[in-house]
Amino acid sequence: MSDHVDFLILGSGSTAFAAAIRAADLGARVAMAERRTLGGTCANRGCLPSKNLIEAARIVREAAHPRYDGLIAGTVGVEFAALIAQKDDVVREYRAKKYASVADGLADLELLEGDATFVDPHTVRVGDRMVTGDRILVATGSRPTIPAIPGLADIPYLTSDLLDADEAGRLTELPASLAVLGGGYIAVELAQMFSRLGSRVTIVARSGLLSGYEPDLGRTLAEVFTDEGIEVLAGSRVDHVRGDASGVEVAIEQAGARRVVSAERLLVATGRTPNTDTLGLERAGVAVDADGFVTVNAQLRTSLPHVWAAGDVIGRQHRSQTATPVGARQGRIVADNAFADAGKAFDGTVIPRAIFTDPPIAVVGETEAEVRARHYPAVAATTPLMYVPRAGAVHKPTGLVKFIVSTVDERVLGVHVIGESAPEIIHEAAMAMHFKAGLPDFIDLIHVYPTMSEALKIGAQAFSRDVTKLSCCAE
Amino acid sequence: MTEPIVYIDLGVGGMTCDDCVVHVTEALESVPGVESAAVDLATRSAVVTARPDVGASALAAAVRATGQYNAFERRRRAASGE
Ligand SMILES: Cc1cc2nc3c(=O)[nH]c(=O)nc-3n(C[C@H](O)[C@H](O)[C@H](O)COP(=O)(O)OP(=O)(O)OC[C@H]3O[C@@H](n4cnc5c(N)ncnc54)[C@H](O)[C@@H]3O)c2cc1C
Repeated sequence: MSDHVDFLILGSGSTAFAAAIRAADLGARVAMAERRTLGGTCANRGCLPSKNLIEAARIVREAAHPRYDGLIAGTVGVEFAALIAQKDDVVREYRAKKYASVADGLADLELLEGDATFVDPHTVRVGDRMVTGDRILVATGSRPTIPAIPGLADIPYLTSDLLDADEAGRLTELPASLAVLGGGYIAVELAQMFSRLGSRVTIVARSGLLSGYEPDLGRTLAEVFTDEGIEVLAGSRVDHVRGDASGVEVAIEQAGARRVVSAERLLVATGRTPNTDTLGLERAGVAVDADGFVTVNAQLRTSLPHVWAAGDVIGRQHRSQTATPVGARQGRIVADNAFADAGKAFDGTVIPRAIFTDPPIAVVGETEAEVRARHYPAVAATTPLMYVPRAGAVHKPTGLVKFIVSTVDERVLGVHVIGESAPEIIHEAAMAMHFKAGLPDFIDLIHVYPTMSEALKIGAQAFSRDVTKLSCCAE
Repeated sequence: MTEPIVYIDLGVGGMTCDDCVVHVTEALESVPGVESAAVDLATRSAVVTARPDVGASALAAAVRATGQYNAFERRRRAASGE
């Protein structure tokens, strides 16, 4: 294979793969550079392994806490090493099926192993090889942010890379206790997972849980966490950390008081940093923003016309979100724009998103605060899930649904759910928003009884009726 | 005096069989100014012999208008002698 390709893709995650597959369809010769494991964050140390282990942790929890009178609590023991081994098998099998064999099946795709660095606008060094591309996609993703906390550099700590199947940062022993720094979605998912598997977990968060989301979501989750025995130290500032392989101490200041959190292990989950610092983007002339995210226009072009960027590496620009299907969509758009002059713009208005805690959370569209900030006339209504028949029938009443609706035309601007099956039911709301449906559409539609999806119908009815007095099937 | 000509290298996507080669060839040769097109299934590419004023977008548009195939310009080379 020549060292010149039509399309040079930096990274091999879901963003890169979607771009490669589409570009190959369009006739391009493609090369993909990867310095870690093929498949990127999602498959190797993100979505897939976390969702695998979170479900196992739910089984452990439910056995010990059956929600029904008449069911007797039991114990599902945890053999952590074996649990991790099955997770690793799932990851490896998925990687082989969804990435490696897909790559093998593509005509004219070459995988290049090594660290990629721009030498000039068209040339990238990958390991010790020079490769040129007519068009280039930066899809190098993100990695855990390591905050500047005094002492952190001197002690051992975990990041979400602990989920990896093959890298050094992987975790194979369950910590007896775990201090989690951060209150974002990765922090809360992993905190609950470890707690349910048997670790004593303390969350140290600068603000509340899930700041940036509807406040009710984080508040509800914090209550559940406290009930489950997870200590949530919100509004905490970390002063310093210290420790060694046998344990860590996190010195914090909370509401003016000082306190030390001790744990066997420390998990740092304070956000994501774009992988752009070693790319040599300045040698190519590709602009990044103050946080290091690659600057793109709505068509995902960078400051250089033949270079595009997509996925986690562009952060929140153009209402993007750092999530796997978002990057994949963007990768496809880039290929269409680069090789078929499609002129497509990325539209982030309707992106459903979920957090796989228990109860899970799912959102689509804007929060009330976002709508208010742009002074758009809107009303909001929040409905507790206890009014959803299924929630009562199966003893899962915790949660709520919140709608934000335009008072101009009744269009739904945002739907926010915490509760059983939220990641599944959010698609109804997303599809409705995709077709610019209004509030009455949610009410008109006959919903399956009894399902959690009825929460959307009832949540919509809450604007005009007293939902405490609905009969069967929310009619 | 013959008009000057160029060779235009294209990448072509979407071809799966010899019929496709025929369709893409016809599409390229329908563009005014194109003298001939040699389309290759295995390498998913084409070499178009054309007048220099034939634009990349005209060739791409003709191929895309089939609704099934895509083409984009890789580079153009002056015909020998130049
Ligand atoms: C714990 C966790 C759970 C998550 N759960 C979910 C979820 O449930 N649902 C969801 O949608 N999203 C989830 N995400 C987010 C999701 O994983 C990311 O949004 C997604 O993987 C981004 O894909 P990407 O292709 O843009 O980047 P990545 O997948 O990060 O791929 C980028 C690749 O580029 C490589 N690279 C970087 N720099 C270089 C270089 N200089 N040279 C060569 N290669 C380089 C990296 O090694 C990496 O493999 C989760 C993330 C984490 C960490």
